[in-house]
Amino acid sequence: MDKRVYTRRDFLKHTVVAAAAGSIYMHLPARLVGGRTPGTRVVLIRHEEVLDSLNRPKAPVIQQMLDEAVTALLNVSDPLTAWKSLISPDDVVGVKTNSWNYLPTPDVLNAAIRQRVLDAGVPEKSVSVRDRGVRNDPVFQNATALINVRPLRSHHWAGVGTLIKNYIIFTPQPSAYHADACADLASIWKQPALAGKTRLNILVMLTPLFHGIGPHHYSPRYVWPYQGLLVGRDPVAVDSTGVRILQAKRQIFFGDHRPLNPPPKHIFLADTRHRLGTAEPAKINLIRLGWQDDVLI
Amino acid sequence: MCSTQANLTRYLPDEAESWSTERDQVYTPETLYSYIDGGAELYLSYDFRQMLNRVYSTPGQPDLQVDLFDMGTSYNAFGVFSHSRESVDTTFGQGSQYVPGLLLFWKDRYYVSILASPETAESKTAMHRIAATIDQRILSTGPLPDILGMLPGDSLLPGSIRYFHHHIWLNSYYYVTESNILDIDETTDAILAQYGSGGRYRYLLLVGYPDTSRASAALDNFLRHYLPEGGESSIIQIEDGTFTGCQVTGRYFAAVLGARKAAAVHHLLTGIQAAVPQE
Repeated sequence: MDKRVYTRRDFLKHTVVAAAAGSIYMHLPARLVGGRTPGTRVVLIRHEEVLDSLNRPKAPVIQQMLDEAVTALLNVSDPLTAWKSLISPDDVVGVKTNSWNYLPTPDVLNAAIRQRVLDAGVPEKSVSVRDRGVRNDPVFQNATALINVRPLRSHHWAGVGTLIKNYIIFTPQPSAYHADACADLASIWKQPALAGKTRLNILVMLTPLFHGIGPHHYSPRYVWPYQGLLVGRDPVAVDSTGVRILQAKRQIFFGDHRPLNPPPKHIFLADTRHRLGTAEPAKINLIRLGWQDDVLI
Repeated sequence: MCSTQANLTRYLPDEAESWSTERDQVYTPETLYSYIDGGAELYLSYDFRQMLNRVYSTPGQPDLQVDLFDMGTSYNAFGVFSHSRESVDTTFGQGSQYVPGLLLFWKDRYYVSILASPETAESKTAMHRIAATIDQRILSTGPLPDILGMLPGDSLLPGSIRYFHHHIWLNSYYYVTESNILDIDETTDAILAQYGSGGRYRYLLLVGYPDTSRASAALDNFLRHYLPEGGESSIIQIEDGTFTGCQVTGRYFAAVLGARKAAAVHHLLTGIQAAVPQE
């Protein structure tokens, strides 16, 4: 029996899959696939003054953005209430960052998250913030709660480096997930040590990398000061929203609908195959806060 | 130092401006993942053989990362270079690309990357000095894939040409499918090129197979999965309003994708028919 082949034309014909796949593979606007209904909440917050002249984030502004985003996401009145509804004092909290040399999770954001976890009543010894080495970190080994935070960037083989992909380092052999353009990264999230533990996902959109060339897949030419954070409980919805922004930037930069290549199918499959969350724009309730110039979505 | 490392080392200068060699490391297909985790597949898909990484350092300036890839053939060195270039530039080697902080070029079987992050005026000068030295020390040049000569020239954007052996690069400009419906592999030569201007582009895909039977099978498969209402040499308007057409000439499969007018598809396919050699 033939393996089912999905093509551009399938995604154009069938609205059932077009919403997620179209936005992820071909930069089709969400309006092509019907009206929007409130669903998974994702907060996009941007601030015109968050970066200094060298594109380094300012700590006070980052803290303010994080607080506003989490408060809006949980629809409560203040940041502390929000964090206390995410994290309890008894939790052991691993904050999974990303240390990729050219575009790491900013230290000031890591510090802001750590501070709010402490403010929620978690003792210092029960909090760890790291990327490499999480498998050998006692806090991560005993974690009852995870917070996932990383920058969005284009990626050689997965299409994009995403929140979903950020957990690959929890596996003993990350390269085992590289097959088929990293199609099944979402399966990592179902492993017993990780399943159900992620309380918050933060996709860093301060200076996203929208295109990569060369062996290091990096040039300053292909980052831009978007100055935002995408925050949500559903990593698939946050990643799907981030990809739409990245695709919009690529369209502006390249002057055509150049898709991310390889297609970031792991986001689509995280929804349709692994049921980790929703990638479908129509099911995502995107809450926009702050600076709106060139928002691209 | 092993012989393979010595073979690559001879192309690199010991120093450039005030930068001097900090360390060398050689990577093979088995170890490339450890250097560019998540990025090795691109090079492996072009039959990567080995790579020498040399780091140059000087006080107060960013390190310079020089990566010299032996891709086995000039076809593959060109292919991996073509993967990301945006314009035609021959400042270094047989083709080069410079963007802030990064200089890439290819010559013969070698692909070279020189990275300075962040770039400074001094590091930019050193990057160019190193590139010039490597270019001078690689004495030979290599041929380009013959299939490039079959591309119709009218409205072609020369910097857009991509050459590859792995089906995943089919979607570089225009998403078609992630499945390998055209049976593209290491025995085939595939090129994708952009035609047009002003944001109104169409895409020509040309795949050369070892024999006519595989080309015919590819056509059958493409028609079955992508243009089921079409026949050989027919031109179909698909759901996004653009026109697509395909054909086989000898052992070559050609498809035109994303054209705004049927006549543009016909024009490019006719050009391919005329360019394919009689065998």
